[in-house]
Amino acid sequence: MGEGAALIEIRDLVRTFGGVRALDGVSIAVAAGERRAVIGPNGAGKTTLINVITGEIPPTAGVVRIAGEDVTMLRPWQRARKGLGRMYQRNELFPPLAARDNVALALAVKAGPYRPLERVPSTQPRAADALLERVGLAGREGIPARELSHGERRQLELAVALAQAPRVLLLDEPTAGMSPAETARITELIASLDRGLTMLIVEHDMDVVFRLADRIAVLHEGRVIADGPAADVRGDVRVNEVYLGKAVATA
Amino acid sequence: MSPELVFQQALNGLSFGALLFILAAGLSLVFGMMDVVNLAHGAFYMLGAYVALSVVQRTGSFWLAMVVAPLALAALGLVLEPLLLRRLRGRHLDQVLLTIGVSLVVVDQIGVVWGREVRSLAAPAGLDGSVALYGGDYPLYRLFVIGFGVALAALLSYVYSRTKVGMRIRAGVEDAEMLGALGVDTDRLFALTFAAGAALAGLAGVVAAPVFGLQPGMDLDALLYSLVVVVVGGLGTLGGAVAGSVLVGPADTFGKVVFQEFALAVIFAIVALVLLLKPTGLLGRIRIAR
Amino acid sequence: MTRALRFGLVAIAVAALITFPYWSAGWESSRFATTVLRDVLVFAIFALSLDLLIGRAGMPSLGHAAFFGAGAYAAGIASQRLGTDQLPITMGAAILVATALALIIGALVVRSEGIFFLMLTLALAQIVFAIAFQWTSVTGGSNGLSGVGRPVIGGLDLTAADRMYVLVAVVFIAVALLLSRIVGSPYGRALVGVRENERRMRALGYDTTRLRLSAFVLAGAIAGVAGALSAYSLRFVSAQDVGIATSVRGFVMVLIGGAGSLFGPVLGAAVVMYIERVLSSAIPVAETVLGLVFVAFVLLARQGIVGVGLAAWARVRR
Repeated sequence: MGEGAALIEIRDLVRTFGGVRALDGVSIAVAAGERRAVIGPNGAGKTTLINVITGEIPPTAGVVRIAGEDVTMLRPWQRARKGLGRMYQRNELFPPLAARDNVALALAVKAGPYRPLERVPSTQPRAADALLERVGLAGREGIPARELSHGERRQLELAVALAQAPRVLLLDEPTAGMSPAETARITELIASLDRGLTMLIVEHDMDVVFRLADRIAVLHEGRVIADGPAADVRGDVRVNEVYLGKAVATA
Repeated sequence: MSPELVFQQALNGLSFGALLFILAAGLSLVFGMMDVVNLAHGAFYMLGAYVALSVVQRTGSFWLAMVVAPLALAALGLVLEPLLLRRLRGRHLDQVLLTIGVSLVVVDQIGVVWGREVRSLAAPAGLDGSVALYGGDYPLYRLFVIGFGVALAALLSYVYSRTKVGMRIRAGVEDAEMLGALGVDTDRLFALTFAAGAALAGLAGVVAAPVFGLQPGMDLDALLYSLVVVVVGGLGTLGGAVAGSVLVGPADTFGKVVFQEFALAVIFAIVALVLLLKPTGLLGRIRIAR
Repeated sequence: MTRALRFGLVAIAVAALITFPYWSAGWESSRFATTVLRDVLVFAIFALSLDLLIGRAGMPSLGHAAFFGAGAYAAGIASQRLGTDQLPITMGAAILVATALALIIGALVVRSEGIFFLMLTLALAQIVFAIAFQWTSVTGGSNGLSGVGRPVIGGLDLTAADRMYVLVAVVFIAVALLLSRIVGSPYGRALVGVRENERRMRALGYDTTRLRLSAFVLAGAIAGVAGALSAYSLRFVSAQDVGIATSVRGFVMVLIGGAGSLFGPVLGAAVVMYIERVLSSAIPVAETVLGLVFVAFVLLARQGIVGVGLAAWARVRR
């Protein structure tokens, strides 16, 4: 894979918290259309990695590129405009607003939000409802986000991220806190999304990872210790030792 | 400015800073423990001054007033915290709004009870004179204020770092919920904290009265300056209150000499700089701006 | 209710409000009522602008009087120094100064939230106000600024009490319409989004700092309009009217009436002005009553009169 094709490229990322190196020279390139998973034990730096990509946490050193453009100095909202959509590990929704209005806020940003004298486009509610139906929330459009079940809120979180029409979807533990049935449902939902949509998935459930990812990078103590096609990583002895073995042992 | 004038103004600045410390220490303590910015702090300060006025009128003793006024304010705090703030535990912004209402009532009632004229309170006998200092006479009382402020800071610092109460206070500032989980009666702790904050405001009112007098609007000045001190110094720490007062007191005093009516522009600039460069305040840990 | 019927009713109410001094002329208390209603509307504009911050954007400003005061002083000083009472000039000066001040203070405070935002707006606005207040040669200091002229528009003189009232009422209607439009716009929705979850808004690609700052400046400019109207109405800018006390009064109006609704702040303005203007002549402790009412609302009915009313209505309908 040529470097020029990378939609997301991070190079030599370092992020320290106090004396701890949460990211210690991480380089990963995600090609357009690829579904890449990042796995690793707790504390490996996965969420920090996503936060550095989106700009919520500035890196201590290193570069983040989106479609070849250096965005390291850009603010989170500017990076979002470059095509980053994100599903947070802990839902970041608008609790009192109806599910439809949660999605509508994500849709509205494309048209430009700084128009105090214009009306909300009449097509917006329908577009929002269509997205809600896509994630399995048909019939729940008018319910405030705070009154939805946890599983439904995860679905809404996904709908909000999709409403941005992102080029890259960053999924931070999409199945966090879900029952096995809910996990299976949202996994299939994500798997069924447009193949052209690039994904970066952080997930600890290995069944989900192998179902969704084409390629897998393994993060351990802030470093990438393996990176390759999903099948290869599954067979990698070191990975099994530091991560899978440990996960089995603690499970 | 002649060196004599600079010296005098430096003393004025320090005595103002000492007053600000007494005032801000209470505001900061309450915030540190309860996450509530008590906007009635200025009203409590004002009430302390007026209670002192009454005590001095009845007994003639300023020193008695310095005991009675803080006690009276502590009692008020002990009533108000369970009556009002406790009902909104956890809703910090609403608790702050409550203190606005309290302040309206307290200030209006002071006007009803004591009238709305400008009053003055004489410095206590023995401190009402002045001493010759570096080419000028300097009011003895202002030197007393500096000494009192320093002594109070030392006392509070001792209480914070060496006593069991102080340990609890520091733990509470760190994480009040944790303290509750450890079996400390947080209801009692919060009521006492609020009372202590009110008492410090009242004490500041007594100490300030001989310097600034008593008049309508003094509550707002006190509130404004104590807010500035904790923003500049840092919220919730004793060191922050010290740093803020030591900076703001002299800055305001010299600002008045140099810029006259635009003295507060100096304060505005200091607050703006702190916000932009050090959003935790000089010695604080809580970010008040991103 | 059909759209046409609703529009008709609103139009009738608006017309009745604007023409109040004329159809009430037969009443014995018409002049007094006109004056009180005028002042209620001035403060309703102020409260509406503040509610854009408190009720929509979730920015609890306790320094909003600085912009009211800036508008009042700017209009008064412009009319005296420039020797003209042309409304576009004096009102323009008010809006300009209030907007500039809101930009300066806003740039410093929009990065703060909640209690800290409240604290900083209070402190910075009060400092700015105190500087202006002590600048006696320009503002009149503690004596206030007296002899502010009533405005004229071209050849139309608005000095007479009834005309002054009509000006205030028309501006009030315009501001209410403007704000109702803003609240329903993509911009207004985005402000609510910032209030509810700023982090998510940033991740969606909204420049939330720009949204917050623009709301702050917009609200400041409208408060400046209210300040100018107050200066024209009273022909005086009082030093007491432009400090913390007025900021608190605006906050109380918004909260008592009900934040986040267009009608709430207007109702709140009426309640507070009633207590301060009418009740205060009957009992000497009006401020105490105001404080107690405010405490009661914060404790028991944080959603304000409108919120309580809507909740009760919902219960009846169920």
